Amino acid sequence: MLEKVNVALAQINCKVGDKKHNISIMKKNIRQAKEKGANLVIFPELSLTGYLNRDVAYELAESIPGPSIHSLEEIAKKESIHIVFGMPEQSEKAHAVLYNTAVLLSPAGLIGKYRKMYLPTHSVFEEKRYFRLGYEAPVFETEMGKMGLTICYDIFFPEIPRLLRLKGAQLIICISASPAVRSRFFEVFTAARALENTVFLAYVNLVGVENGLQFWGGSRIIAPDGSILTKAKYDEEDLVIGTIDYADLERAEAFVPTLRDLRPELFDSLREQAEKM
Amino acid sequence: MNTLELTSDALKLDLPSVETRIKRFIKDYVEKCGAEGVVLGVSGGLDSCTTAALASLSLGGHKVLGITMPEEETHNATDIQHAKLLAKKFGFDLQIVDISSTLKVCFQSLPIYDATDKISKGNVKARIRMVYLYYYANKLNRLVCGTSDKSETMMGYFTKWGDGAADISPIMDLYKTQVRQLALHVGVPAEIVAKPPSPGLWPSQLAEKELGIKYETLDLILFGLEHFMKSREIAEQLNLPLKLVEDVKRRWLATEHKRRLPLTTKLGYRTVGKDFRLPHKPY
Repeated sequence: MLEKVNVALAQINCKVGDKKHNISIMKKNIRQAKEKGANLVIFPELSLTGYLNRDVAYELAESIPGPSIHSLEEIAKKESIHIVFGMPEQSEKAHAVLYNTAVLLSPAGLIGKYRKMYLPTHSVFEEKRYFRLGYEAPVFETEMGKMGLTICYDIFFPEIPRLLRLKGAQLIICISASPAVRSRFFEVFTAARALENTVFLAYVNLVGVENGLQFWGGSRIIAPDGSILTKAKYDEEDLVIGTIDYADLERAEAFVPTLRDLRPELFDSLREQAEKM
Repeated sequence: MNTLELTSDALKLDLPSVETRIKRFIKDYVEKCGAEGVVLGVSGGLDSCTTAALASLSLGGHKVLGITMPEEETHNATDIQHAKLLAKKFGFDLQIVDISSTLKVCFQSLPIYDATDKISKGNVKARIRMVYLYYYANKLNRLVCGTSDKSETMMGYFTKWGDGAADISPIMDLYKTQVRQLALHVGVPAEIVAKPPSPGLWPSQLAEKELGIKYETLDLILFGLEHFMKSREIAEQLNLPLKLVEDVKRRWLATEHKRRLPLTTKLGYRTVGKDFRLPHKPY
């Protein structure tokens, strides 16, 4: 496993419903990231298709593995790079059952996937209308470190990042499609989730305009002490690279010992109270 | 949760950010459509002047065509002068097209025309202006850019399929008092911003008189309703009679039909305007 990883945040502007176009943009960014020395390149939520697909999501969704995965596996292999991206996933058992999924590929092929657990269905969001909730939050042991995946609104809840950290994650990735009116929430939550878990957090957001929603970009890598290591531009396409040094984890854990001071006996009470709400 | 404070501060904007977002929205959509630019009605009033200014700043004046459509009954030389002043300042083309003769023919051909029914008559004016704008848009491969603000849209204070008809409405998420802030910020002349708003459908028509409320108050009531506040809370905070707030709320709810596609009854598997939920194209 690498001790230091160069992580590329590929903040792209996707075309809704046009997988071919989006894959070509992803390929271009992967090549550029590789040229700049990246080991891992991360794309935003639903970057394969764009975010607001509405009813067309049923046509666009693919099973995993599927044709788009194969296409991106080829480039991961060719460029010898790890890739994280988002796509609407179709269940193999019931084709109208979709998931909002993050996929992790290595040069050797598909490593795994994460299905979004918190689906926003309020304000301009209507994800529960189309997607089924995910039920698992796996941590993947890779050459790039132990990684956990999350998607956008998941980061509003401390539970998944904490669970991933307790399962051993060193790097939590959050891929996102966040419109500008919500930027301040993400600026706070990304820092909070990294700091409260003393973990690296890479956040990658879309840019561009879909149906009047303006995605604000602002992708970033947060260090385990909550500081911003690398940050992409607001509102515009960008590709930035930050280096994660896993040796920093131990220093942060000693200085901000939230993991040492965890109180598991509160968790049962949290559950009881949440169920009664 | 703290009560939302309904003061003018609640309506303050981050003006540079709002300006940037509106300009980006216009440019992005016009480019995605492959259109040559926009055409919009420029009456010389606050909303149309602000929209024309923003469109020019976004696309460049050469891609913005303003059409001023005066007619005999409401002819206002100051408004026309203001439209010309703005066009010069922001570098967009302005055409003055008098619609009086069209209106005359239209009214004459209506078997049930009633000159004393000023609302029906006024709505024809707004709809004729829409017809003209869409002619220009079709002919010149441009989009029609609406100029409605959030206050009048929420109140249904516009003509359905008239001035409410457009391809994009860049300032429709800003209340009137917010449009005033933005107008001054982008350089719309103060004399235009200071004018009392009028739809100009009949002589001496004034929006605030017709609505029965000042925009400063109306906008705060609407802002409260937008934020799920109860009528009573809004009335208490603004020290207004409850009836006034409830009248505004009633009007807002009663005019939802003006903000939607025509209603149909559900018969099929997926139905236009109900559960046919497609992505907006172009995006």
